[in-house]
Amino acid sequence: MLAPFPPALGKGIAALAITHALLISGTAFAGSRIIGTGGVSAIEGAAGGGLSPWAVLTSTASEQEFGATASLSRAWLDDYRLTVKAASANLYDRVEVSVARQTLDLVTLGGELEQTIVGGKVRLFGDVLYNPWGIWSAGFQHKRVADDSIPKALGAQDGQGNDVYLSASKLVFGAVAGRNLLLNATLRNTEANQGGLLGFGGDNDGRQWVAEGSLGVFVTPQWVVGMEYRQKPDLLGAAEEDDWQSVYSAYFFNKHVSLTTAWLSLGNIAGLASQDGAYVSLQAAF
Amino acid sequence: MRFPRYPAALLMALWLTGCAAQDTTQPSLYSRLGGMDTIEAVVENMLYRVADDPNVVVFFANTNIDHFADAFATQLCDISDGPCQYKGPPMDRAHQHMGINDAHFNRVVEYLTDALGEEGVPLAAQNELLGRLAPLHADVMRRQ
Repeated sequence: MLAPFPPALGKGIAALAITHALLISGTAFAGSRIIGTGGVSAIEGAAGGGLSPWAVLTSTASEQEFGATASLSRAWLDDYRLTVKAASANLYDRVEVSVARQTLDLVTLGGELEQTIVGGKVRLFGDVLYNPWGIWSAGFQHKRVADDSIPKALGAQDGQGNDVYLSASKLVFGAVAGRNLLLNATLRNTEANQGGLLGFGGDNDGRQWVAEGSLGVFVTPQWVVGMEYRQKPDLLGAAEEDDWQSVYSAYFFNKHVSLTTAWLSLGNIAGLASQDGAYVSLQAAF
Repeated sequence: MRFPRYPAALLMALWLTGCAAQDTTQPSLYSRLGGMDTIEAVVENMLYRVADDPNVVVFFANTNIDHFADAFATQLCDISDGPCQYKGPPMDRAHQHMGINDAHFNRVVEYLTDALGEEGVPLAAQNELLGRLAPLHADVMRRQ
């Protein structure tokens, strides 16, 4: 779009202003959970690492507290550009609700794919720091593509679908050279192609369980570096799909602002091989 | 399925650093914390932070602070393998029916962490101490 003053720029300036205010405001109005224990915003809107949801609930709200986050993320792959705008809320560190809008610009092929994801996550039991079994949560994501013509042309059966997942996270104190190690594992039941951007179901196979995992080392209490792995179904005969992986760094300036950078390796997407690229995500938490 | 490259590399790195970190002659956590002088300084530093927080200081309304500081320092010395033996009440009885929730608990953890940092305790020793204290959460919360 070549409008003289794109609306996105205005929104971006507003977001920057809010972020700047939060950077200055320090810990005012922050939830009481320890910094970093809310993770960052995963690309599907849930609290997580980037590619995969974690069991922790968004923001630093604890019991009797309420929290909310907003995030803006972008990935520059070889032939695609992904933009994610997401928001989430945490009720009493028991229930998380989230919404995300993903836009995949088909830079090489032309056009774009868009989907909206509404998610919910419930903390079943535990705590990422204090419970020897960590924190366990169950979640769902309802996904709907804006236009199902490209997904259906590739063999997808539906333009909307649902994922459910079970997730566990645990911080192991002093595990790596005296630094704390964050472990996450997620089991997801899904029939989404490329997370849903290429629709749901296909001609190869049907709904299945996939495993996702990540680990991160808190180099300092505010800075975690690690990697993620996300197994994916491969349902479309016309568009082979690979597992996703990333190496990431997330820096928590304070309880309100975090900046995540990553290098993604997403494999084959819609017929274009080995899609790698940089990822940046900025989250504001209240 | 392709063999995942990055996880394998990181696991290898973790394993190697883990080996490097396993120094058999490593001094006790107590001495890495800085001994009793540092522990007492940390407890005092933490209590000043508690005193400034109206949400938390209420739990100390009927507490002799000097007595508490001694008992807590002894407990930290004991749990870090120092030459002390904590003889106070168990954590569930010490906190019973106080109405403590996770928000209160987290705040005190933050004050302790901030105090450890400000008194110059190395991050590795901080993390190990927090790891030893973390299981006390269940005891503190048992009779709320």
